[in-house]
Amino acid sequence: MMLLEHHAKELLGRSGFPVPEGILVTSARSAVRTVALPAIVKAQVPVGGRGKAGGIVSVKTETELDAALAGVMDMTIKGHKVRACRIEASVDYSAECYLSLSVDADAGGVRVVMSADGGVDIENPVVRENILSQVVAADLTHVDAAISALSAELPSTLHSALAEAGHDVARQFFALEALLIEINPLFVRKDGSWIAGDAKLVIDENALPRQDGLRALIEENAALYPEAALKMEHGFDFVVLDPDGDIGLVTTGAGLSMQLIDELVARGHRPFNFCDIRTGGFKGDPARLIQVFRWIVEGRNVRSILMNFFAGMTDLGELAKLMLVAMDGVPEMTRIPVTARMIGNGLAEARAVFAAAGSPIAIETDLESAIARATARARPFS
Amino acid sequence: MIRDLVTPGMPVIVQGLTGRSGRDQTARMLKYGTHIVAGVSPRDDENSAVPCFRSCAEAVATTGAKASVVIVPPLSVLSSIREAVDAGIKLVVAITEGMPIHDALKARALVREAGVHWIGASTPGLAIPGKIKLGFLPDISLAPGTLGVMSKSGTLSYEVCHRLVSRGLGQSLWVGVGGDPVKGTRFADLLPVFADDNGTDAIVVVGEIGGNDEEELAQRILDTSFSKPVFALLAGRNAREGVTMGHAGALIGGDGGSVEAKANALEAAGVTVCARIEELANSVAAAIKRLTHNTEKMTA
Repeated sequence: MMLLEHHAKELLGRSGFPVPEGILVTSARSAVRTVALPAIVKAQVPVGGRGKAGGIVSVKTETELDAALAGVMDMTIKGHKVRACRIEASVDYSAECYLSLSVDADAGGVRVVMSADGGVDIENPVVRENILSQVVAADLTHVDAAISALSAELPSTLHSALAEAGHDVARQFFALEALLIEINPLFVRKDGSWIAGDAKLVIDENALPRQDGLRALIEENAALYPEAALKMEHGFDFVVLDPDGDIGLVTTGAGLSMQLIDELVARGHRPFNFCDIRTGGFKGDPARLIQVFRWIVEGRNVRSILMNFFAGMTDLGELAKLMLVAMDGVPEMTRIPVTARMIGNGLAEARAVFAAAGSPIAIETDLESAIARATARARPFS
Repeated sequence: MIRDLVTPGMPVIVQGLTGRSGRDQTARMLKYGTHIVAGVSPRDDENSAVPCFRSCAEAVATTGAKASVVIVPPLSVLSSIREAVDAGIKLVVAITEGMPIHDALKARALVREAGVHWIGASTPGLAIPGKIKLGFLPDISLAPGTLGVMSKSGTLSYEVCHRLVSRGLGQSLWVGVGGDPVKGTRFADLLPVFADDNGTDAIVVVGEIGGNDEEELAQRILDTSFSKPVFALLAGRNAREGVTMGHAGALIGGDGGSVEAKANALEAAGVTVCARIEELANSVAAAIKRLTHNTEKMTA
């Protein structure tokens, strides 16, 4: 997952990497404005292309700052509602360079990239041709050697800045078990000093159990990292895709859950959520189901719930019992029809459990039939 | 190559034998006919179905095991792989989900150095239906046949293969490569395995957003003039950039990884890319019918 620029800069800054002075605000009316003007208002969303989308605005006066903040806080960039802005002091510089370290999954190593021309110019084909890049083994010794070798090819005015910044980033890359650290632009001043204009830091959620600092960061900023915080707290994935969606999904398995969303969209429906509930983690407790039901009934337009359990390991009879307990725990569920696609071990028991309880849950064994039933039920009353 | 390595009677050990899932999966694999000869665990389990050793080295020395199925907690996968490699294991299948990516980089380097095949992590495993299963691919989706299957997602491949099996189309070899970005075996690595296998008539690729396994596969199809028909289903058309969708690798970044980019690359390599499961099942069934018909005409 990608950290917000503000947190990436805080983490880098804490280790001594120079970053411009900046504060995070989560409301356009925030009172604290300790940043000196001129400044830059930057939308904090976990995607690139913020500048192009109008999410980065330079301001010279308080009035401009107010207007920019109100405007940017009201934006949605690539599907991400802007929940926070970083207000950052403008800095002087003489060159905009590029520096990144990333995991190269394909080559199985670390890719080091440097360029004398950074910023938006990095997209320019001429600049791209002169980008310096090397993939090396994933350890500090090899990465440091690559940084030294690549920076030596840069103009002498930039050489030591990129080398020193590169070695700094490399230490952080391994300490944080990062997948990407990109400093673009890396501002270099006339005196050879440097400072991070932007910072992109992609972390590995699988490493969080041993990355105490990153875990704490996500916990403290749960509102800004809702999906990651949810996964850390509950141990499974749930993403609201469309707050106005008409079909709620209770599904297990990331790939099949994603495909199910694609199948529903292809039929003109708007799935409310993505869900990989991981039945393997239930261990006889209905808590996960209850939690997912609660989130789904919050969807104001959800008119149908589709469950999909392709049981490789799960016992469907046990699952059916848990589903009944969970439904009792969320009374709002009674207003939404539930279609449950179930196939695998214990199907007969599951049918018996629902029948004995007089449950209105409809079981389908074929996914196409389940989709047809669930979408028919989601149709608005006319 | 993996196909030559995976033989029905090959001796297999399970690392993490005494964990809940280690115990369950061992029982299921034994039932399927996999020749599991021993397990490794720091503690004993009186009820374990096979002998339990303290170390891989002991297990391998005693049983002559060639393959290992790793079912240990995420932060222990790297050390388990290292132990297996040091003990002389030739094929490691790591089922565990949640292995840190920097650990995967280390594991990848060490298996390559030792010439060991590594499948995973985060894989449901592999199977030659009717003969051997390493991992937990569900029986309901397995049947002997002529389709070579490679998949990132477990569940989606179960659904796809289940539908194909219900149309009478089984698999020659099914390998789940897993949903992690850094992995032991990538789609492209499997292409020569299927190219050389006379029992494989067509390939089914179950891909998803994130990484560039699919793009790399497309390039390898072109580079090697791979001639068997290839069909692909790609999940995640409606995923949002910047949000991880369940799998560690299922993330669209600014630099690519979208279904559109993957579909374009695969189609340019002659692959039939399908948007819906039913469409894929129908296309594969029609192609196999044509192939069979042609073969019958040739032999007649």
